[in-house]
Amino acid sequence: MNSIYVHIPFCEQKCKYCAFASFDNQFDQVQKYFDALQKEIESSTFEFRIGSIFIGGGTPSAVSPSFIAEILKAIRKKFDVDKNAEITIEANPNSLNEQKLKEYFSKGINRLSVGVQSLENKQLKALGRLHNKTQVFKALKAAKKVGFKNINCDLLLGLENQSYHQLKKAIKSLKKYATHFSFYMLQVEDGTPLKSMVEGGRIKLPDDDKVVKIYHKLVSFFRKQGLKQYEISNFAKKGFECLHNLNYWARGNYLGFGLGAHSFVGDTRWANASNFFDYFAGKKAFVEKLDDKQVAEEIVMLGLRCNLGFDLQQLQKFGLDLENNDHFQELLQNNILFLQNGRVKINPDYYGVSNLVIEKLIDF
Amino acid sequence: MKRQEKIRNFCIIAHIDHGKSTLADRLIEKTGTLAKRDMQNQLLDSMELEREKGITIKLTPTRMLYNFQGEEYELNLIDTPGHVDFTYEVSRSLAACEGAILIVDASQGVEAQTLANAYLAIDNNLEILPVLNKIDLPSARPEEVKKEIEDVVGIPAMHAPCISAKDGTNIDQVLEMIVKEFPCPKGDENGKLKCLIFDSYYDNFKGAICLIRVFDGQVKAGDKIKMMQTGKTYDVTEVGIFVPNPKQTEVLRAGDVGYVACSIKTIQDVAVGDTITNALDPSDQALPGYKKVQPVVFCGIFPVDGAKYQELKDALEKLKLNDASLQFEPEVSQALGFGFRCGFLGLLHLEIISERIEREFNLDIITTAPGVTLKVKKTNGEVLNLSNPSQLPNPVEIEYIEEPVVKASIFAPPQYVGAIMELCQDKRGIYKGLVYLDTQRVRVDYTLPLSEIIYDFFDSLKSRTKGYASFDYEVAGYEKSDLVKVDILLNGEKCDALSIIVHKDKAYSRGRNLTEKLKKIIPRQLFEVPIQAAIGNKIIARETVSAMRKDVLAKCYGGDITRKRKLLEKQKEGKKRMRKIGSVEIPSEAFMSILKLDDEDK
Repeated sequence: MNSIYVHIPFCEQKCKYCAFASFDNQFDQVQKYFDALQKEIESSTFEFRIGSIFIGGGTPSAVSPSFIAEILKAIRKKFDVDKNAEITIEANPNSLNEQKLKEYFSKGINRLSVGVQSLENKQLKALGRLHNKTQVFKALKAAKKVGFKNINCDLLLGLENQSYHQLKKAIKSLKKYATHFSFYMLQVEDGTPLKSMVEGGRIKLPDDDKVVKIYHKLVSFFRKQGLKQYEISNFAKKGFECLHNLNYWARGNYLGFGLGAHSFVGDTRWANASNFFDYFAGKKAFVEKLDDKQVAEEIVMLGLRCNLGFDLQQLQKFGLDLENNDHFQELLQNNILFLQNGRVKINPDYYGVSNLVIEKLIDF
Repeated sequence: MKRQEKIRNFCIIAHIDHGKSTLADRLIEKTGTLAKRDMQNQLLDSMELEREKGITIKLTPTRMLYNFQGEEYELNLIDTPGHVDFTYEVSRSLAACEGAILIVDASQGVEAQTLANAYLAIDNNLEILPVLNKIDLPSARPEEVKKEIEDVVGIPAMHAPCISAKDGTNIDQVLEMIVKEFPCPKGDENGKLKCLIFDSYYDNFKGAICLIRVFDGQVKAGDKIKMMQTGKTYDVTEVGIFVPNPKQTEVLRAGDVGYVACSIKTIQDVAVGDTITNALDPSDQALPGYKKVQPVVFCGIFPVDGAKYQELKDALEKLKLNDASLQFEPEVSQALGFGFRCGFLGLLHLEIISERIEREFNLDIITTAPGVTLKVKKTNGEVLNLSNPSQLPNPVEIEYIEEPVVKASIFAPPQYVGAIMELCQDKRGIYKGLVYLDTQRVRVDYTLPLSEIIYDFFDSLKSRTKGYASFDYEVAGYEKSDLVKVDILLNGEKCDALSIIVHKDKAYSRGRNLTEKLKKIIPRQLFEVPIQAAIGNKIIARETVSAMRKDVLAKCYGGDITRKRKLLEKQKEGKKRMRKIGSVEIPSEAFMSILKLDDEDK
């Protein structure tokens, strides 16, 4: 499958933990940005049939829906977008309203990804989020009313004073609207306000053991709720897995448009510059052609992130022969990995330590 | 005779940081031996590392010409290393001189090495000229320090020049006194050749070069010479002097300091302290004082990346070219793979060598805990000399173990005596005496096991005495001791490179300490890892590294796979620095950590 990612780098307020390419003080650039984005799409040299589009950010809902409409129009004009394509937009609860949702829906956007993060107002405030619990449900109700049938809620794990009970309650109430949950562990990135909060002792995050305990409890709770874990951090009702994300793990082609957006076609990855000045000048942050070894590493790394696993024989083609790898045999024996129809998959209990497992396999 | 009257051979001795190298620089500058623009600060300390550590390791002699009262004098300065590790080398340099300048910091006064070096000079019958340095400092107290020199060292000091080597104050006075006070050489130019080798270095083109002082006779290119200790003979290809770079001359005669090159293949063939004589007309008696240098501190050195064994070998061989006291032989460790067991003159020497390997050869290395040579008497009567803890026989096969001890003198203000004694007691020291040098300073004497001072004795001493104490020691034989080997087991498997030998009374606390430390260093793995300390089969301490629970469930945002792959590659790279003991992966730092144990005892 081929996908398109569009990056909208504007936010009303940057979250305390955010280290992504997004800005809360550049709204005067919006018009110029969308002009550039449109031009970038129009001048693309690829002719792909597109199975999914993801409009992410930043906060796509922070700009007028007409900009989004223009971009979708440009994509459809340039590419052959499948009529069943999954088209997702990311939104924050506080910048959603019925009117906006209607406009999204009418332009063919069929999946909504809501940055809920938490239903505890205290936690939301500490993270620098602008919404509260009431706004979350207001937005979700409106989305349902407008006709969205595929809704994701992003939640964060590892917040201050977070308990399993809180999360269980949150999932239960969100499940009335959501078909998909993304559960990311809060990461303290260098250079973020969160980092200095942690270092200064102004926020006390739970330790790894506690977080992992909650994570494992949640995994089984999701299962009981009929939400299947198909990736480390992703849970969905049957048939609602995010096609766009799966395409990343399956190493399908994708084109990224916009500031800092990443693309992958064939065996080459590249990314646009992640500041306005360089992006407007058409600069790339990097272009890299993967060698066999890197491809093999990616196959393992991405395959073990999700329930797709990877094909042993395909891996051999890129020079990584696991059959004679002691680590691999050890991992199989310990039921950390298992074989299913020629594919190597990870025991879901070990999603949490997949990096360790991956490292052992790509030790060549 | 006349010629020798215009020669002065001397050295400068001092406690560390009292300004030895700075004075040497000033003398060279003042005599115009090198133009000022050619001077690099502290010229004589030529190695980068030496300059950084502020210590002189390698001796570099320099000939200076000095005009005094219309006559030109030849002043040969033989620089000496100031560290206890190199005492023998210092003593040979001193033996090449008639006089010694004893520099004393005018505010700090007499320190441990001041005294140790002064005694060495006295032992070698040198004329000692005390000089007070750092007179420019507001805390300088020259009169008191002069008295201290007289009382403590026992040499007259009232007329000692007060200088500032840094500012160049009163340097002329020093030069004058060198000429006036130091005796000239009184060798027999026509006698049988006798030269003292006081140092050597390796030259890529000329082979091993002997730095010599000619006592009797003369030597020139073409002569056939003989080393009296090793018995080997060579043809002299070149002789010369240092100004301070080597300069070829026709002949070296009695009283001269210079070098002899004779295509000697390795520096190991040149024994410092040996006597060179003429092979065809040999002297019947060698110069006194020769000793074979024996390493006292040993450790294993392994490449972090096991594949770099050959590179490590090359590095050690290259270093050995210029360092006859460095010893090494191949060692195989179950944990660390192929490496070398290396012998050093002391901890500083060890530190310098390992830093030079990392810096000059760009190799990452693991050094295991430094240890000493133990004499192990087995029940079957056999006596083993052991420098590797992992080779210690089973306790039941051991009748007794002897370990090397040192005589240590510590100088400090009286208020720290309690702290010093506590430390020495803690290090299994035996009190030998206490002497008040004046109201401000005492000397505390102890006999201590060498193994106790090679860890961090000096650091603890400094921190307990706020830096006021100074310390010197000499190796003083072997004594019986109740030593045991503490092994470390990871996941039930013994890790040979982590074994240590300690006194029985300390085994439990060290074992506990070690397991606690390792727990902090060993990263969590997919399974639980027990860490045990054991004496023989008896477990004396245990810690557990619980299993790894999560790495990062981070968002792989917007298809940024590259970042994730790079993170993974970085982790993988970090893994190369890990060692595998059975199924447990441990970082190289773990091996180093046991060196630092003592800090956290406190």
